Amino acid sequence: VKAPAVASVGASRRAQQSTGVAALKKLLAPAASLRVTVVLFALSILLVFFGTLAQVDEGIFTVLHKYFRTGLAWIPLQIFVRFGQVFFGVPADAHLSGTFPFPGGWLLGGLLLVNLLAAHAVRFRLTWKRAGVLVLHTGLVILMLSEVVTGVFGTEGRMTIVEGGSSNYVEDPHVVELAVILPQDAKIDDVVAVPGPLLEKGGLIRNQDLPFDIEVAEYMRNSNEPQQGVEGANPATAGDGVKAVVTRRPEESGTDSRIDVPSAYLMFKKKDSGESLGTYLVSVWLSHPQKVRVGDKTYDIVLRFKRNYEPYTMHLIKFSHDVYPGTEIPKNFSSKVRVVDPDRGEDREVLISMNNPFQYGRGSVFSLGGETFYQADFLKDGSGTVLQVVKNPGWILPYISCTMVALGMLIHFGLNLVGFIQRSVAR
Amino acid sequence: MKFTPRQLIPAFVCLGAALFLTMKALPAGDPDKGMHLEAFSHTPVQDGGRIKPLDTFARTSLLIISGKEDFKDEDGTTQPAIRWLLDVMTSGKLFQMANAEQKDKFPLAGGKAKVFRIDNPQVRDLLGLEQRSGSRYALNEFADKMDDLEKEFHRVLKIDEKKRSAYDAKALETSRHVQLYGQIASWDKPEIVPPQSANGPWQNLQDSLLEARANRQDNSAFRSLGAMLIAYAGNDVESFNKELASYQRRLDERFAKDVNRSGVEFFFNHFEPFANCSWLYVGVFLLACVSWLGWSKELSLAALCLLGLTLLIHTWALGTRMYLQGRPPITNLYSSAVFVGWGAILLGLGMEVLFRNGLATACAAMIGFLTLRFAIFLGGSGDTLEMLQAVLDTNFWLATHVTCVAIGYLSTLFAGVLGIAYIILGVWTPALRDRSMAKTLGQMTYGVICFATLFSFTGTILGGIWADYSWGRFWGWDPKENGALLIVLWNALILHARWGGIVKQAGVAWLAVAGNMVVGWSWVGTNQLGVGLHAYGFNNTLAAGLVGFWAIHAAILGMGFWPRRLWKSFAPAAVPEPEA
Repeated sequence: VKAPAVASVGASRRAQQSTGVAALKKLLAPAASLRVTVVLFALSILLVFFGTLAQVDEGIFTVLHKYFRTGLAWIPLQIFVRFGQVFFGVPADAHLSGTFPFPGGWLLGGLLLVNLLAAHAVRFRLTWKRAGVLVLHTGLVILMLSEVVTGVFGTEGRMTIVEGGSSNYVEDPHVVELAVILPQDAKIDDVVAVPGPLLEKGGLIRNQDLPFDIEVAEYMRNSNEPQQGVEGANPATAGDGVKAVVTRRPEESGTDSRIDVPSAYLMFKKKDSGESLGTYLVSVWLSHPQKVRVGDKTYDIVLRFKRNYEPYTMHLIKFSHDVYPGTEIPKNFSSKVRVVDPDRGEDREVLISMNNPFQYGRGSVFSLGGETFYQADFLKDGSGTVLQVVKNPGWILPYISCTMVALGMLIHFGLNLVGFIQRSVAR
Repeated sequence: MKFTPRQLIPAFVCLGAALFLTMKALPAGDPDKGMHLEAFSHTPVQDGGRIKPLDTFARTSLLIISGKEDFKDEDGTTQPAIRWLLDVMTSGKLFQMANAEQKDKFPLAGGKAKVFRIDNPQVRDLLGLEQRSGSRYALNEFADKMDDLEKEFHRVLKIDEKKRSAYDAKALETSRHVQLYGQIASWDKPEIVPPQSANGPWQNLQDSLLEARANRQDNSAFRSLGAMLIAYAGNDVESFNKELASYQRRLDERFAKDVNRSGVEFFFNHFEPFANCSWLYVGVFLLACVSWLGWSKELSLAALCLLGLTLLIHTWALGTRMYLQGRPPITNLYSSAVFVGWGAILLGLGMEVLFRNGLATACAAMIGFLTLRFAIFLGGSGDTLEMLQAVLDTNFWLATHVTCVAIGYLSTLFAGVLGIAYIILGVWTPALRDRSMAKTLGQMTYGVICFATLFSFTGTILGGIWADYSWGRFWGWDPKENGALLIVLWNALILHARWGGIVKQAGVAWLAVAGNMVVGWSWVGTNQLGVGLHAYGFNNTLAAGLVGFWAIHAAILGMGFWPRRLWKSFAPAAVPEPEA
């Protein structure tokens, strides 16, 4: 007598469950719509196009953060003027001010991810026909994740070493700092670092750790190389700036590999009286520190890229720059370096060249740590090397993703093609 | 077996094409009684970092200066580039001084050849030249204005590249052409004297001369070359030929490999395979079009055979370039155009076998013709087998990433041309009234877009992996990378729009046509941004060409928007006139 009742309860539960799933699917359906996908693709295409045009005026680093690694991008109308100038003969002095909002890379990427996941939630079926799509979409999700991992956890820096010299720090060419150094003894310095953004904000900088106050006369995000013997006004009254003048330069645009070289004119003031100690030119161009005397102490001041000290030391044995015979076309750059790492007990020589990077401290293919050194650039006179130092815990993800997507497409399109040919033959 | 004349059409077409190619391939040969200039042009020299025949050096130098690979002498006879090169090499200081001593012994013909192409009116004014058709001038015509030109050269060099006017850019260009002439006349270029020891450097004649004077060393190659030049200038046929024969005998012994390679390159230059292929593709296109009007079986077979034959030549040419350079097929914009054409033909051939309607043949032939003409245009800037910058010096990535991206370009273009065919056939002809025809065209477009998505995606990501491997940055958002990404996104958009039922046959065709504009942007357009805003001269032509390409596509897209009743294929059928 009871049995039918149980059965009916089970059935109704199943019905309830399936109505629950159906409701959820119904809820997700709009988010899973292919129309949404197409619209998101169209918006992504526009964003990538805008982000490309923007590089005529702005550096890649700026564009990256203004367009792609952001939720909302503000697109300047001037980029369309640039487009017109390159292709449609718009006069070189034309200008359009104003910006308009547009969904940025994080937002579009996130929405595409939601759309993709919703689509699979709603239409999930484990069949051969869908297998390819499933594999390739999983690969795409991994690719998007990898961009997030790189954006959030990855770091990039540069290590500059002169031939015969050593270095144990990596510079971040996008972050500048004013180091105020009180030399203690041969080994230890007392360093106070003023971050670049604070200098850029301008005004008076006052801090208990600083031996003096700093009044920013002018800050230049990018500057021309110091020139000696220039006529006209010179803001500097002391230090190296008395002899050489530095002028403002527009930010390096995306297609150049040059980096921005900041400079500033700073007036140092005594803390108690506010008496001027002189206006100094500080610049990343000037590699040697300048002396500032306050009371009985002499400080070294230098504007430099932010340094991250490493546990190892790299010693440049030789930098080579080969060209093709009879030309100035570069054939190869290479740096022969000695790595000394007391922590790991390593002391060995390696050769880093174009297309042959050096991976250091990376255990296996799947290890997340370690860094990679790439031959990036060299000092103008060939006296030293510039290595790009990258730490990216997500470096393996694109490899996995690429394999999965290509495989997925091969399966999906391959099955389609085979089916099509079979039908054709049958006819 | 008996054939009707109609059935023999394919055989006749192929025979005709083979005859045409043979005629083009046969070397002109040197006259018995004249100077052996053709033999001389085989001489290997070092220039731009590689060993090449003197012929290539002469052709590319003349091409840079005059925009053509031959020139007209004082009598108006067309002459090969090697003659111009010899004229210039025998017009320098040494020969001028000799002329001053022995009254007009040498003709100094280099300065008299009208080869400098100066088409900017302001530059002509600067040099005191009158406008003339062809805009080509001899150096002697403006030799007295050299100081003015040099002054302009130094002035323009100081101006930031982005701020140069069109005149500035052209004045600079003309100065550079005059400099190139000067380098050849003063024996600074090319490095023609082979190394005396096994691993020694190649030398130019100037250095060899100085060395010979300084330490009185006996450099037999230099002596021979000098003797040949003097014989040439003095029109001493017998001495020239004798000296050349003995020089080449000695070269053959020591530099067999370079001599062979130079010989192959000489034949390649002479045969001009890409130009020939481009014309044969026109033939294929016409045959395919005519086949839709009648005799379709024979004519479409003829088109297919001719396509196959031309593809053989195209493949041989591509392979020969790879042999000469020792590289995968694509190393610069020029070779990418050659490859895109080649791949499109191959793809078209495959599709023709599958669909048998002549459409794939016609579309492939059209892409083949246009890309080869584009390549030939790009070749105007100099040697197309140039050495690779250090970053690109990796055969593995060139073979994988670059090739995949190019296949992505060519298949996206192919889909676009099929889309154009759909719109044009639909609007102007009743061809698509045949439902199966419309359906086939739609299937073809869809298939090619799938193919394009696969390759453009794989190629783009491989590029990222190359970047990660070589400089630690998977994706840099730089213009060229973004261009490749745009193609992937565009193809993905088309596929998803089709799967979602948002577009049907006509919509896919329309989107595919727009895809061509995206390819134009990422293939050529992004490079224009790369050079910033100084889009003058050569680049200006490319930018203008791209704008033209976009305009044509925009017009076709506009046509695609016409209401269906205006499409000949979809308009309601006219009611037949009732018989009286």
